[in-house]
Amino acid sequence: MHSNGLFLKDVAGFLGSYYTALAVMNGVAGYLLWKRSKEPTQALVWTVFAGVMMILASLALSGSPGLVPALPAWLRGLVNQLSGPVLYTLGTTALLTVLFVFRRFFVKPMVAWTILNAMLLLMGLSMADENFASIVMKPDNVPIVGLVFLLAFFTWVATKQAVVNDDRIAQGLPPMEKLDDEKVLVWPDLVYTELICMIAVSAFLLAWAIFLPAPLEEPASSVKTPNPSKAPWYFLGLQEMLVYFDPWYAGVVLPSLVIFGLMAMPYLDFNKKGNGYYSIAERKFSYLTFQFGFLELWITLIILGTFLRGPNWNFFGPFEYWSPYKVEVLNNVDLPQMFWVNLLDRPLPRAPQGASTLTQVGTILLREAPGLVLLGAYLLILPPLLAVTVFRGFFARMGFIRYMIMANLMLLMLSLPLKMVLRWTMNLKYLVSIPEFSLNF
Amino acid sequence: MAEKKKMTVAEILAAARAEKGGAAPAAPAESAASAPAPGASATPESDAADAPLPAERPSAPKPAAKPAASGGRPSVAEIMALARAKKADGASSVAEEQAAAKPAPKAPAAKPAAAKPAAATKPAASGGPAKASAPRDTASILAAARAGAKPGPVSKADAPAAVKTLLAESTRPSGKPDAPKGASAGQDAAAKPVATKTAALKTAPPMPTRPAKAAAKAADDEADRRGFLSMALGSFMALGFTSLSVTGGLFSLGLARFMFPNVLAEPPSRFKVGFKDGFPVGKVETKYVAQFGVWVVNSDIGGQQQIYALKTVCTHLGCTPNWLEAEQKFKCPCHGSGFYKDGVNFEGPAPRPLERYAIKIADDGQLEVDKSRAFQEELGQWNDPSSFVPV
Repeated sequence: MHSNGLFLKDVAGFLGSYYTALAVMNGVAGYLLWKRSKEPTQALVWTVFAGVMMILASLALSGSPGLVPALPAWLRGLVNQLSGPVLYTLGTTALLTVLFVFRRFFVKPMVAWTILNAMLLLMGLSMADENFASIVMKPDNVPIVGLVFLLAFFTWVATKQAVVNDDRIAQGLPPMEKLDDEKVLVWPDLVYTELICMIAVSAFLLAWAIFLPAPLEEPASSVKTPNPSKAPWYFLGLQEMLVYFDPWYAGVVLPSLVIFGLMAMPYLDFNKKGNGYYSIAERKFSYLTFQFGFLELWITLIILGTFLRGPNWNFFGPFEYWSPYKVEVLNNVDLPQMFWVNLLDRPLPRAPQGASTLTQVGTILLREAPGLVLLGAYLLILPPLLAVTVFRGFFARMGFIRYMIMANLMLLMLSLPLKMVLRWTMNLKYLVSIPEFSLNF
Repeated sequence: MAEKKKMTVAEILAAARAEKGGAAPAAPAESAASAPAPGASATPESDAADAPLPAERPSAPKPAAKPAASGGRPSVAEIMALARAKKADGASSVAEEQAAAKPAPKAPAAKPAAAKPAAATKPAASGGPAKASAPRDTASILAAARAGAKPGPVSKADAPAAVKTLLAESTRPSGKPDAPKGASAGQDAAAKPVATKTAALKTAPPMPTRPAKAAAKAADDEADRRGFLSMALGSFMALGFTSLSVTGGLFSLGLARFMFPNVLAEPPSRFKVGFKDGFPVGKVETKYVAQFGVWVVNSDIGGQQQIYALKTVCTHLGCTPNWLEAEQKFKCPCHGSGFYKDGVNFEGPAPRPLERYAIKIADDGQLEVDKSRAFQEELGQWNDPSSFVPV
């Protein structure tokens, strides 16, 4: 903060080349558009954009920190103030929903190119903020930045193909993949491709290891936990789940269920369409379920854990300083406490000192009755209810066992967002809290 | 796909299946032409070379194609020859051959009796390989190797000629069954006329010869069994195995001993932390965390001033929380669990309070923490007088 000028001088070189790269990228795009396209307007737009990027690059390289293009301070402050786990989760959900609903618009190449440029430009402007840059440019986190762009690209490509196929199917044409069903041989076609990929990736990893060295930290100690202490990036979704659940559930049961559910998919799926080609319209339920589990419950949580969780696992805005002394009121209580003490105004049922084991267990069950009833209703009564209402067709086509497995997997998957919402709205810690046996849900 | 150079796997398979129930009297010319088929992917040149043949030798292929078109299932050989012919052939026979070739892939005969006829006809082709000495390319050498270690069609340029000779030679014997064509002794079968062979294949394959019955055991087996004990104790083999097992046993014992060292490098589980005066009211002492993993706290618990030792392990997932003096709480950096000064959890996912270690006043008046015993609040163990020292 105090060394903002110094920081800007450091980052100016990077930003200069960053904007230059953007300019070159758009210049090439403009040139190609001009050569190929019948309407030169778009070529003109992107060439002009390249020119603007060139101006930004020269501003960044001008040598005076004040001229480095950056987001205005008030905007950064506003973003920090607004951001929080609730807004982040709701915002990403809304964003993904909008992207899905209006996918026909977003798969247009020019729209995608505009969004890509907007993302890159926003990132460049944000990079002039010291707090943002220190997180994003940390060698550990660079892959996650790459992940955001790569995942956006691949999702876009798949969606585009699915939209094209859906249109063709609607017109009674076969999907694109059926037009070119020429077989290729493993040797040499596939093996050569793999060889080339192997060499390219090795070269890339070598360069990466040289330019972005892994941070060496102090020797490990069982009584010293780094603050913040983060799991490997691919487990940050798990770590975020652990904020809302007991370790046995979020760390053991849910991950196993993810694997089990993925394995069960082919046996649960009764939709014979969409086999071997991209399609959304023909597999809407499968598509939405998978994308919800993957993009919403896994990827966004990884991004949240990487960029927005700071010391003491507090939530920090993207431009906020990671202070270990940030105070956040996160008090929460268990459901029995809410039910017995807050609602009925009675003390928690407690077995008398020295009572027999049976009495103790009975008291615990009585104490946890509200949570157990809720949980039982959720997992045992809800599936049949859904079977006669929302999932009527599914139940008829899947049969009892397959339907029950599918419904319970769905409900357990939904238990994560539901628990998050309950934590945010009601400060609920656990529905069932039996610390005597380390059993909390 | 027939327009392409190679046939697809699917087509070859379908054709091979069709052969199963197909017409037995496959024309020898086609059988010979199909000889390189198993290596088709590697020998496009020879495939191309085969192509003109049916057209140039109308007497052989035409009769074969007709039965196929008229309803009988075509053999692999026929289909392949026709498919190839279509590529290079003049327009004259294309239509007719298409009629023959098209239905073939759709033939539903499913049993994979395949490939055998094609393979069997291979040696026949080897009977009269081109003796050309032109530079050989890999594909033709491979094809030749498959066709019986004889040089095959050698290059694209002279392949047609070569195959023509080959065909001419291999078809001739079909008329004269006794003309030996085998190149080597091992190819006796190949020497036999192709037509006969194809017919033979339709019948059941010869039964494998029954292996000889196991010979009766030698009479001195009994003696060996009796001598086992002496051998076990007396031979070098026995010596080796005995010493091996003894060494293994000793090693296991040593390993077991290694697990219980004389000296433990870890800090003792009972240690003294000084006199009561060193812990003023409301103070959380953090200097024992790094070595012993303990906070010593002097705080008001339920109206009574107590000194107690809190274990520095978060009850959620085992990280070490930090004591935040300004906020007066223990805060875990892993998932954000928070604990009051008395160790009771109040925020984040931690399901139960921090645990206490046993603490007492030693004989010399100092406070002594015993890490071998822990006390959990949810089990009502904090009332245990060993879990705190009243001030």
